Amino acid sequence: MQDCNCNNPLHVHFKDYFSENINTWCTNCGNYGIQAAIKRALVAEKIKPCRTLLCFDIGCHGNGADKIDGFRFHGLHGRVIPFASGAAVSNRKIKVIAFGGDGGSLGEGVNHLVSAIRSNYEVLFILHNNLNYGLTVGQASPTTKAGVKMNASPDGISSDPIHPMRFVLSLHPAFAARTFSGDIHHMTKTFQTGLRHKGFGFIEVLQSCPTFNHMTPHEWYQKRVKDVNKIKNYDPKNIGKAMQIAEDLETQIAIGVLYQNPDSVPFMERQANRLKAKTELTDEVRQFSTEKLFDAFR
Amino acid sequence: MLDIKRQVIKIAGESGQGVNSIGEIVAKAIKKSGFHTFGYREYPSLIKGGHAFHQIDFADHPINSSSRATDVLVCFSRVSFHAYLPTLRSSGQVIHMLPQLELTDTERQLVREKKIKIGYLAAGDLAQEAGGKTIMANVVMIGALWKLMALKLEPLIEVVRSEFAAKPNVIEPNINCLKKGHGLKLKDLETLKITFKPQASCQHDALLTGNHLIALGAMASGIRAYFAYPMTPSSSILSYMADTYHETGMLVKQIDDEISVAQMAIGAMFMGTRALVATSGGGFDLMTESVSLAGMTETPFVCILGQRPGPATGLPTWTSASDLNLALYAGHGEFPRCVIAVSNSKSAYTVIQNAFNLAEKYQIPVIVLSEKQIAESLFQVKELEDNVTIERHLAEGKKLTTLESGDRYKNTKSGISPRWLPGANEATFVANSDEHAADGSVTEDSEAALTMYSKRLRKLEFLRDELPDPVLVGPQKSVLTFVSWGSTRNTISDVIDLWNKAHPKKSVNLLHYEYIYPPKTSKLLDLIAAAQPLVLLENNAFGQLGALLTAHTRYQFSDKLLKFDGRPFFVEELIEYLEAKLKY
Repeated sequence: MQDCNCNNPLHVHFKDYFSENINTWCTNCGNYGIQAAIKRALVAEKIKPCRTLLCFDIGCHGNGADKIDGFRFHGLHGRVIPFASGAAVSNRKIKVIAFGGDGGSLGEGVNHLVSAIRSNYEVLFILHNNLNYGLTVGQASPTTKAGVKMNASPDGISSDPIHPMRFVLSLHPAFAARTFSGDIHHMTKTFQTGLRHKGFGFIEVLQSCPTFNHMTPHEWYQKRVKDVNKIKNYDPKNIGKAMQIAEDLETQIAIGVLYQNPDSVPFMERQANRLKAKTELTDEVRQFSTEKLFDAFR
Repeated sequence: MLDIKRQVIKIAGESGQGVNSIGEIVAKAIKKSGFHTFGYREYPSLIKGGHAFHQIDFADHPINSSSRATDVLVCFSRVSFHAYLPTLRSSGQVIHMLPQLELTDTERQLVREKKIKIGYLAAGDLAQEAGGKTIMANVVMIGALWKLMALKLEPLIEVVRSEFAAKPNVIEPNINCLKKGHGLKLKDLETLKITFKPQASCQHDALLTGNHLIALGAMASGIRAYFAYPMTPSSSILSYMADTYHETGMLVKQIDDEISVAQMAIGAMFMGTRALVATSGGGFDLMTESVSLAGMTETPFVCILGQRPGPATGLPTWTSASDLNLALYAGHGEFPRCVIAVSNSKSAYTVIQNAFNLAEKYQIPVIVLSEKQIAESLFQVKELEDNVTIERHLAEGKKLTTLESGDRYKNTKSGISPRWLPGANEATFVANSDEHAADGSVTEDSEAALTMYSKRLRKLEFLRDELPDPVLVGPQKSVLTFVSWGSTRNTISDVIDLWNKAHPKKSVNLLHYEYIYPPKTSKLLDLIAAAQPLVLLENNAFGQLGALLTAHTRYQFSDKLLKFDGRPFFVEELIEYLEAKLKY
């Protein structure tokens, strides 16, 4: 494949990710902070827009697909993870980041999250967890707390919520982190660690939704989040400890890199027939002689 | 009835008795003896038990279809004896290994009327006598079959040697079993009268399934990733891709569900490699939202849809051509697509290569229909056709360096906009499942939406112009023309050869659709204008190709020959149809 001729690939600015399209999110939406943080993280990691593929699911966050620069794909509800995985395995020279909401990622497309963690595709997945379906105007999502009255649930939700981090850690992911949409600095640092990680990275962003989530607004989270970096001797290699500390979502909510497997082997490095391959799948599309394989049938 | 000029061997037994592997050995050895073969399988959707067969038709001319009737039935199990005895032709013969086999009154009458000969071998004991194990009984049976066919044993020994090459310690016992069977006096049976001569030119041919050919064609076209969830009749593409991945270096990955399969392929194609997926109707149902996504984002997508009878789980291991409508209409919204159907060994290899070129040129989903009858039947092939040149239609050179974001979905005359890959240029864009402007940015403006909608649909007109016309198989002039698609071509082609030689004044031909959508109608309209009698021939109940052609020509097919019992058209069926239709 022909590569772009970036004059100075290491020279990247925040403005490079600027888009002229105007954001359409509600005032004080958590998405503003998340967008700013991902731009900062990409710039800090010296990744140019033309060397990244940002993949968006459907929902409020997905409406930001054209409000940031980079190569971008805005797909179908719940399907961002397999799309991003297919892209990532094809060309590891392009950084692939996937964004999804709590509805698409933990409801309709939850199986894709399981597969991606098991296969360890080299995708950084950022979960916008705002505890509701925002774009369809405030219905319950798989993370909405039980009993809360939502659009289409006038007497409160009758199902119990999923605990995203408990669920993800049970699958022994290669990387699991949590951050908060009200803290751009923390998000940036967490995203940066995620971008440097080899393999599938899961980052849950506790996202405020001022319009539909009145139970856990920005201030509610702000009072409760606690960075694991501030815990003495916290060892992110200890998954048992991560499971313990991730559990509390009511009083003291742990944020930061909760777990990282230092021996993570990404998907393409697990492929027995490609261990010696020096090229990417995108570089290899050319006529292949089938003569030898055909002769085996004679 | 017309002499069908072929011999038919049916190897039958329970699933799990090695029916298919023995069938393939027999087919290869008959081919090596100098004949043209066609191998057809019927088997149930279970691992052990039931009854299954592998049928080998052979002749002195190329054949690609099956006969309904059997000349020699080789039986490994009681159930299969009772199931397939009625398929024997007059004077047909049975070799079985079933002690104390009892026939019903009806069967005795059938045997009398058809003068069927039945021979019993204590094949298990004979295998042990030959120094083999009881499980080699079926090898003794094919030794006896060779004696019955009066063919030389060497080609069969050669095939057995190469089949067991990985297990050298079982080669000699198997060959001893073959010789044991071949040395027997088959007192109740009669040497088969093969009236045609073998040809040395066949010996080096290849025997492979339609799925092998599709996989090879895909490899030739440069695919570098194969994603699939197993589903009959497409599963063997996955197995073959995996078994050969050290040679091809391709990424081959079994995925947890068909939605992910389609999405991963679209992701891979968007990033810029070539990825293939294959499934059957039920799996394709799950992919339909992704087909729509490929249409909207103008991302190339190629899917093999191997058909079997539905609805729902249907007849999982049987054949059908009932998913044309699914391929034509799958996915919400209106967008351009291409639907192609493979038919024979040649098209299985080449069509898939064209599919990738078309998908990349027009940036559309291309659905390639196959059928169990093509996917799993054994075709005899001399050489592969020349490869189709890879045409990717990506922006390159100076054009690539001058691109701007707004070029990606630029409104052009043909509707085709420049396409480039992530990382190929600093001009970025968004591929958007929402309606969008030229750089992919979302828009809900009526004029902009109409422009983009029309741009996409315009591609269909240019695609229609580029696609090949349906082909006329047989003579230019005929008293009757079949109109069909898919594997029906193979049976009708074989029948056309026999029929037209026997009845030159009442010759028939076939208008065969390989490239189905967008439909090409001029050849059909010529036939309609000339008042040519037309017969629609399809392996489904609705006459789905007929309905599509009616919609585009207003011609109503009054004559239809439709079959939808899970079986392909057999040679005798079409001959009987013609004899009745053309008053013989």
